[in-house]
Amino acid sequence: MLHRLSRRARGGWLHFVMLPLAVLWMSPMIWIVLTSLKTRTEVFDPAAGLLPEVLVFTNYPATLSVAPFGTYLINSILTTGSILICQLVTITLAAYAFARLEFRFKNFLFGLFLLQVMFPIYSTFLANFVTLREMGMINTLPALVVPFVASGYGTFMLRQSFRQIPSELSDAARLDGCGHLATLWYVCLPLVQPTLIAFGIISVVTHWNDYMWPLLVTNSDSVRTLPIGLGLLAKADSGADWTRLMAGTTIVVSPLLLMFIIFQRRFIDSFMHTGVK
Amino acid sequence: MATVNLSKINKSYAGRPTVHDIDLTIEDREFMVLVGPSGCGKSTTLRMIAGLEDITSGVLTIDGKDVTDALPQKRDIAMVFQSYALYPHMTAYKNMAFGLLRTSRLSKAEIDTRIREAAEILHITDLLDRRPKELSGGERQRVAIGRALVRKPKVFLFDEPLSNLDAKLRNRMRGELKRLHQELALTVIYVTHDQIEAMTLGTRVAMMSKGHLQQVGAPMDIYMHPSNTFVATFIGSPEMALIPCKTDAGGQIRHASFVSGLAMGEGLPAGVLFGIRPEEVRLGDEGMARGKVERTELIGAEALVEVSLGDDRLTVKSSVADAPSPGTDVGLTFDLSRARLFHAETGRAIAVGG
Amino acid sequence: MSRNVEKARRNEAVLAYFLLAPSLLFLAAFTYWPILRSFWFSLHDVLLGDPRMFFLGAENYQRLLSDGLFWKTLGNTAFYTLITVPVAIAIALLLAVALDSKLRGMAIYRSAFFYPVMIPSVAAGMVWVFLYAPGYGPINEALAALGLPQIDWLNKSGLALPAIMLMSLWKYSGYFMLILLAALKLVPSDLYEAARLDGVSGWDQLIHITVPLISPTLYFVVIIGLLHSYQIFDYVYVMTQGGPADATNVLTFYIYQTGFQYQDIGYASTLANTLLLSVLALIGLIAVTLGRRVHYLGER
Repeated sequence: MLHRLSRRARGGWLHFVMLPLAVLWMSPMIWIVLTSLKTRTEVFDPAAGLLPEVLVFTNYPATLSVAPFGTYLINSILTTGSILICQLVTITLAAYAFARLEFRFKNFLFGLFLLQVMFPIYSTFLANFVTLREMGMINTLPALVVPFVASGYGTFMLRQSFRQIPSELSDAARLDGCGHLATLWYVCLPLVQPTLIAFGIISVVTHWNDYMWPLLVTNSDSVRTLPIGLGLLAKADSGADWTRLMAGTTIVVSPLLLMFIIFQRRFIDSFMHTGVK
Repeated sequence: MATVNLSKINKSYAGRPTVHDIDLTIEDREFMVLVGPSGCGKSTTLRMIAGLEDITSGVLTIDGKDVTDALPQKRDIAMVFQSYALYPHMTAYKNMAFGLLRTSRLSKAEIDTRIREAAEILHITDLLDRRPKELSGGERQRVAIGRALVRKPKVFLFDEPLSNLDAKLRNRMRGELKRLHQELALTVIYVTHDQIEAMTLGTRVAMMSKGHLQQVGAPMDIYMHPSNTFVATFIGSPEMALIPCKTDAGGQIRHASFVSGLAMGEGLPAGVLFGIRPEEVRLGDEGMARGKVERTELIGAEALVEVSLGDDRLTVKSSVADAPSPGTDVGLTFDLSRARLFHAETGRAIAVGG
Repeated sequence: MSRNVEKARRNEAVLAYFLLAPSLLFLAAFTYWPILRSFWFSLHDVLLGDPRMFFLGAENYQRLLSDGLFWKTLGNTAFYTLITVPVAIAIALLLAVALDSKLRGMAIYRSAFFYPVMIPSVAAGMVWVFLYAPGYGPINEALAALGLPQIDWLNKSGLALPAIMLMSLWKYSGYFMLILLAALKLVPSDLYEAARLDGVSGWDQLIHITVPLISPTLYFVVIIGLLHSYQIFDYVYVMTQGGPADATNVLTFYIYQTGFQYQDIGYASTLANTLLLSVLALIGLIAVTLGRRVHYLGER
């Protein structure tokens, strides 16, 4: 029933199921924002209503005064941006080699890339920590970047796209005087732009939100990222000051959510097509 | 001025030979068509000339210069692909300019002049700002040809360029290509599996099969004097009938349906194939052979009549008015001045004395 | 001549290795080297920040067998993964089927279910701590309004892990929904029309037409779900620190505790290797069981 009706776009009743579900799904976010606009007493008062009595904006400056969110933001941008740029370079080069060149050990090497996708980061983070520590890189921004420079997933995704470019097009490029690098730059890259954007969005979301690794390798505010800052704020408040914490959460969550709202189609498409080959 | 010379060209993939000892010279201003069924090696040969495939052995010269191992862009050639291979992210103008910018030292203004000239010839001046996606199949085709024209190469290579077009457009583009070849005095090597394209476009045709060159010659020459049964049946539609005959003691060839033996020449082998085209047979009450009409197809101006001669069949072209109805017994008269014989075992043409 | 061909081939290979070099360098340094190193550590007694190593042989692995906490965290991890991934996929499938239509407001629904993916796990964890909080947390307030007793979700050993699982369903179902939605769009609608003419009910259509046709994607989602289930580390770290009484302690968190809180790199590496092997074994198992069937079903 469910399926038939939905296919035929006849199921007005579907809204009766989906609307409450959607509201339920939205409620944590609504709660975050509402709480950040309440007073402390309101939060703990069971008699107080769902909505704040008066909109209190002071929680925001209060949050910003207890923790250097500006620095965190800059660090988050620097880290995520560097990872993205490095990844785009490495995966483009590697994916082109796998898609368009013939060489020995190709399958073996490709296997190494694919296997990386399967490896849990939790089976390497100890040894990576030890290595970075030996190199004196703990508590630096590069430490936040280097483990993520090579991406098996991105290489795989982009290789698929490169392979879909008709071979006649690269033949034409060769006749037009392009070597491999020129073909990659002038012909292949412009054509895989959608894949690059999709990968970029997924990468940014992943690393912008990453918690575990920055938690391990940072120990001063000068290199901490937004999620770490938020975690620290939670610890400092130890659950007492929810209004300030929710203001902080709103601050941390909003950059990505704003991007998501503005570029909704792009975001949705990117994540949607991670599953379709 | 450009002659292309292939001498003993071979190609193998992973040790498996696919093109064998091709010897072929394409003269200046010639329209050479490489024709054959798919998988016969014609595209591979073209791609070797273009430099897109390595030549396993043999020597390729263009204009006397050995280019066997030269990079594609050093060969002074341009190619039009089956799928057109236009860069989807560039406008028609950019598509045409791209190769010039990379391979020549022409100034922007000179490139612009060339593109405008070519666009004029191909009637695509209005389309220069469009991307391939905004163009129809025929328009893309013109842009692809334009991209080759602006290079002013010594040789034009075409790889089945019309096979993605619908029948009507294909006819028009065929005429167009012919016009371009004549007006601009181009040297063209053209690959197709379509024998009509080969016959109408080529100044000479090179037939290929299974990696071997079968016959090279002017279209009518190949049509009239095919060197073996493969060429004989590939060229011409409906195809030539090959009737297996025996040579009797008197040197005449006989078939169960023949009224009497036919004298076709001296020193014939015991088994021959009697090759006759649909338009080389006349139907009537009397004739050299007797057969039974199996089927009649009216195709407008004329009729195709399928006649069985015992176990063998042949197709006859006849006027619609004279077309007999199925089941009728008919007599067949062959135009013996045009009929040809092939060796039954080797399939090679036998020189017919008369 | 063929020497030239050989040369061209060699040039191509050189270029290929050159293009692969940056990736391979980082792959070697931060994926494969640490795995080797971690194996080496697991054979030794090593402390964090102490360069000395004492060879132990297989002792760490023997310790593993008799370590009750290891088995408990392994059990919790298995429980979490084996329930959350299938349930999330089931929810995602139902949502996707419901949204695979020209329903008005479809884009809004899609975003409503998807947006939690954008939220950092630490923020999500914190909010849910708030939602679950006894006394003033909205979930308990709702219970109280219904006249039910309040529950301290995250501090009750039987409920803490399910509570975390519930929040991860909220966070990830939307992602799987999107992937499945993309697959559903590719199912030709004439199949449903044919089924309708044959009088096949909606539920049977879902089980016998939709699921088999999108089975390659479902299989992919299972793998993605598995890889995403590591994220539980963040939730445990933020919400419970493994408590109460290790009721929410999972393997990844136990590795962290052993390595960074007790600084026992040797044993932590042993645990990490065990995690790696079990993940690879599980993926292998899924590949030979589900993967095979999917291949058969996926052929149209």
